[in-house]
Amino acid sequence: MEQQLAAHERGRALSQSAETTEYQLVEIWGDTVDTRHLAWSVVLGIAISYGAFAIANRVLAAYVPDAAMARAYAMLVGLAGCLIAGVVCAKLFKPKREVVEEAHGAAGREEVLKQLANEAGGLGRVADLPPSVVAEMKELGLYELFAEYEERDEQRDEQREGAR
Amino acid sequence: MEPFVTQLLVALGMGLIGAIVFSGIGLISGTDETTTLAPLTLLVVLLGVPPVGVFSFFMAGAVSKHMTHAIPTALLGIPGDTLATPLLQQATMLRNLGVPHIALRKMISGAIVAAFVAVPLAVLFAVLLAPFGPVITKAAPWVFLAASVAIAFFSSGRWASVFLLVPFVLVIVGLQALTGKYGVKLSVSYFLGIAIGPLIADLFSILSPADRARMRRERVRTFSLAPDVKGWSGYFPNPMKVLDGQQRGWVTATAAISSATFVFSPVAMTVVLGELVGSRVKHAYHRLTTVISARNGVTEATYIAEALIPLIAFGLPLSPVAAGPAAPLFNAPPRFFVDTATGHINNLHTLMTTWQFLGFGLLAVVLAALVAYPLSMNYAHRAASFVARKLSHEAIIATFVGLIVVISVWEGQLLGLLVILSVGLLGGLLSRNFGFNTGVQFMGYYTAVLSVPALTKAFGA
Repeated sequence: MEQQLAAHERGRALSQSAETTEYQLVEIWGDTVDTRHLAWSVVLGIAISYGAFAIANRVLAAYVPDAAMARAYAMLVGLAGCLIAGVVCAKLFKPKREVVEEAHGAAGREEVLKQLANEAGGLGRVADLPPSVVAEMKELGLYELFAEYEERDEQRDEQREGAR
Repeated sequence: MEPFVTQLLVALGMGLIGAIVFSGIGLISGTDETTTLAPLTLLVVLLGVPPVGVFSFFMAGAVSKHMTHAIPTALLGIPGDTLATPLLQQATMLRNLGVPHIALRKMISGAIVAAFVAVPLAVLFAVLLAPFGPVITKAAPWVFLAASVAIAFFSSGRWASVFLLVPFVLVIVGLQALTGKYGVKLSVSYFLGIAIGPLIADLFSILSPADRARMRRERVRTFSLAPDVKGWSGYFPNPMKVLDGQQRGWVTATAAISSATFVFSPVAMTVVLGELVGSRVKHAYHRLTTVISARNGVTEATYIAEALIPLIAFGLPLSPVAAGPAAPLFNAPPRFFVDTATGHINNLHTLMTTWQFLGFGLLAVVLAALVAYPLSMNYAHRAASFVARKLSHEAIIATFVGLIVVISVWEGQLLGLLVILSVGLLGGLLSRNFGFNTGVQFMGYYTAVLSVPALTKAFGA
């Protein structure tokens, strides 16, 4: 309950910095978590999944005649327990991530073109492209972008040569 | 053997389950194939599903996961799993050009085309290699030793990995002797321990104040979600039309090459063949889209070939994929087993014919395409947004911690749990500090199980 309230408040307008200082953040296995939340999820993960497995193992051993089969089904229940543990922890602990929706038509285009031009193969010439790729690029509004950059590049080269 | 109609129904049903389950798992970045495919396939084997059902489940699952892992890679800029890492650079550039949907479409279409190329070719190569089967089976202990050394050398740890094989194998032999004393024989626990090792090592590190300082972060990570762009009419675009002629050609060619090279690491093949394709395409935009299609095709094809060729030709897990995620197809006692001492093999290799591998393999690819492709085309943005906003990393860790406990206790009670923790900790640390990656560790396990007995016999220790 307390968790949910906290989530609500956060949703309203708590400043980003205040929110982050609440957490004891660490990076583990490729993403950030809060240490207390992490401890709870480990405990819950073990308790729920092992609990499911142990109970199923007991119950099924009494009803399923083939012992190996009973254990295999108990494992299935145990795996379901893992999923339940995951769902419970997902409900309890909110992700420690900030997700930003990018606007349409990213602003980083110029940067990418520069990067591409500096790569081993260079930018290349739109004139060399097969018609299908030209059509694809036009549809995406990328053709003009590349063609323009190319033109500017050529002009720059010409200017440099003219200055010489 | 069951009549054909029953087989077909079982394969259809299991393939569909595999495709649906793993299309979902693929969305969650960081879920490695071995930690998810191996235990679930094992479960399917132990529940007594007929061989063709087991095979379809595995294949449809693997192929679907490789399609949907493109979603976090293209839209969030985080690799869907280890195999998606080499695709990140192209995906990010396309995203910054404002066309993340193109990255996604090219990747997935490349994967579909490559999968259809890889299945028949892998079967063909397997048939060509099959005559050497008996020789290889006989020499299996030595073949595994040589393969481990080779795979270790090609890992990022190079010579360190080669030499680290010695203590690592020794620890496994020691743990096996220990559990043997109590009548416990473990195999899946080792695989899972190795695969999930990085998490186990990180969990230990966090308990140590000295190491915790290194892992501390000031702020939450920021992910930028690419916008949703739908650029076609109808329910989903034709995958054939997404790729142009040249791209279809490159995808087919690189898929064919990577189908043949089944002993190398899929990540390495993806990088090398991607560079090769990139150097042949003149225009930068075309280069980006062609490389990303070919690279995702290669990850798909290598994966299929690495599982299929050893399975069909030898029945021995002689590749990084066969030794890891596909391990339950070879070894799932008491149902499937490999006994190198007697040369007796009882697994999908002996239970299915070559034609069945081909037919049901293609069926699985079709099922995966039918489930994962429309899903990725229509719901990619929503799915990526849901996973990033609603699914905390804590929840994923809770699931995997539970998985460690359930599988190890199921296999060997308390001893199983102790072994999985020890192997996971050791493996995770070696992988973090020396580049002694999980692929090498799987081979190390097989060296301990298959080569060490032969070695001790040969040298009369």
